[in-house]
Amino acid sequence: MKINYAFVEKVLCAFIREELHKFGFGSGIVGLSGGLDSSVCAALAARALGGKNVLGMILPYKDTLDKDIEDARDLARKLGIRTRLIDIAPMVDAYFSRHATDNRVRIGNKMARERMSILYDHSALEKALILGTSNKTELLLGYGTIHGDMACAINPLGDLYKTQVRALGGHLRLPTRILKKTPTAGLWPGQTDEGEIGLSYPEIDAILYELVDERRPAKEVIASGFKKEAVKKIERMIIRSEFKRKMPPIAKISSRTVGHDFLYSYDRNR
Amino acid sequence: MKIALAQISPQLGNTAKNLDLHLRTIEKARRRKADLIVFPELSLTGYTLMDLVPDVAFDPARHPPFQKLVARSRTLDIVVGFVEERGRGLFTNSAAYLSGGRIVHIHRKAFLPTGGMFEEAKFFAPGKSFRAFDTSFGKAGLMVCRDFLSYGAGYALFAGGADFIIIISAAPGRGMTAGKAFVTSRMWELMGEAISYFSTAFVVYCNRVGFEDGKAFAGGSFIFGPHGRLLAKAPEVEEDLVVADLRLEDIRAARKKWTFRRDDRPEVILHSLQRIVGDNED
Repeated sequence: MKINYAFVEKVLCAFIREELHKFGFGSGIVGLSGGLDSSVCAALAARALGGKNVLGMILPYKDTLDKDIEDARDLARKLGIRTRLIDIAPMVDAYFSRHATDNRVRIGNKMARERMSILYDHSALEKALILGTSNKTELLLGYGTIHGDMACAINPLGDLYKTQVRALGGHLRLPTRILKKTPTAGLWPGQTDEGEIGLSYPEIDAILYELVDERRPAKEVIASGFKKEAVKKIERMIIRSEFKRKMPPIAKISSRTVGHDFLYSYDRNR
Repeated sequence: MKIALAQISPQLGNTAKNLDLHLRTIEKARRRKADLIVFPELSLTGYTLMDLVPDVAFDPARHPPFQKLVARSRTLDIVVGFVEERGRGLFTNSAAYLSGGRIVHIHRKAFLPTGGMFEEAKFFAPGKSFRAFDTSFGKAGLMVCRDFLSYGAGYALFAGGADFIIIISAAPGRGMTAGKAFVTSRMWELMGEAISYFSTAFVVYCNRVGFEDGKAFAGGSFIFGPHGRLLAKAPEVEEDLVVADLRLEDIRAARKKWTFRRDDRPEVILHSLQRIVGDNED
C-alpha cells in the first residue's frame, strides 16, 4: 500500500491534462464539498490545468455546515480556482414537497443527483469536463449514489484507496482541517462513512487491498488475522454493488450490439 | 552509432496524424545525427484499437503513406509499429525495419497478451517466428512488447546471431511502490539487463507514453550495452526523444570477455525442444 505520492501526482496530473486536451476541453469542473476527496481532486486539477481553468462548484443543501462551505471556499482561494455556489434546497424541496418522505437515503440520493444535474449543466455552459472524486474504496464498496456523485467524465482518484487519498492530500499540502475531516457521504447530518459501514478506513482499505490487489480468497485473508465479520461484510458489499461499476446490460438480439461486440475504446480517434 | 528512441504518444486510430508525428520526429532525430530511430509498438495507429483494427490496417508494400516513411529511411534507419494486413482479412501487430529506402524486415508479434487488461488475441493473428537480419550496423532482431518477456524469443534472436535486439512496446504502467516508477517498468529493465548481458548484444527498448482509456503507457525506454550496462534511459510517463551514442566495438569487447555466443549450442536446445514438443501432452 506504500506508494510514491510525487509519482502519483505526476501520473494523475498528466491524465487530467491529456484527457481534457483529447476531448477539446481546456478546463475542468469539480464539485467541492469541503471534504477530502473533492479537495484532493481540485488540487490535482489546479496543478494540471492552472487554477484559472478549474471551476469549483459548491452545492450546499440547508443542512450543509457553514464550516464545510467555508473550507471549500478557503481551499479554492489557496488553489486560485474559481468557485460558484448554488443552493440546491429549492430544487430538492420542490420535489419532496409533492412526494414527501422521511427516508434519509432517498433524500440523500436525490441531493446527490441534483448536484450531478447542476454539474452537467455547467459542463455544457462552461465547456468544461467534470472530474470525478469517487475513490477506490467507495467504488469497490459501492458506497456512492449511482448517477449521483459517481457520475463524471473522467475520474483521477478511482484507483486510490481512501487512506491513500488522504496521504496524497498531505503530499499536496492541503489544509490540516481538510486532511483531518471525518469522511462523510453527506446524505444526512452527522452521518459518517466509518460509522455507517462499521469499520475504520485503514481497516477497510487493508482488507480491500488483500482481496482485490492481492486477489487472496476471503478465507486466507481471515486466516492472516483480519476479523471474520469485517472481511465477510466487505466481500458482500463488493459483490452487491457490481451494478454500480458497470454500464447497464443491453438485451442482445442483433449480430452486433452496443455493450457486447461493438468494441471501441473510450478514447477512439482522440 | 547513434540511436534515437522516440518515446511518443500516438493518437488512437488516426494514422494520418500519427504519420505526420513520425515524419516530424524523424526530422528531429536526423538533425541530431541519429543513424537509427526506433518508434513504439503500433506507433502509427495507437494501441487500444479493438474493432478499429481492420480500419487502420494496410499492406506496407502497397500503402502510399507508409511509402513516405520508407523513403525517409534513405537518410536514417527506422523501426516503426503498425497493423499489417496480410492476404485478405488477416491482421497482425507488426514491426518493420526500414533502411536505404526499402523494407528490410517485418516481424509479426508472436505472443499476444490476452487476459486481465489485455485482449490482443481477440483482434490479431499471431506471428510465427523470430529471425535476425542484416543491417549496416550488424545483425538485428525485432520483437514487439510481450514477445520480449518470453525469454525463448530472446534466445532465438541470440542464437540467430543478433548484435541488436530491438523491442518496440506499448506497455501500460502497473503497480506502485515507494519508488518513482511503475512496478512493471522494473520488469522490462530486468529483462533488458539480463538479455543484453547474456546475449552480449545491445538491447534497444522503445515504449510509448500517453493515456488510452485511463491506461498510462509507462515510457521508460532504454538501451543496454553488450556488457549489460544501462546506456540510455528515457523518463517515465513523459514524451521524449533520447539520442544515445553507441560504440559498436563494445560488442566484440563483450564477447572477448564472455564467450556465451561461442559456447552456444542451439542443436542441444533444439533437440530438447523437439522432444518436449513431440511429447505433445497437456
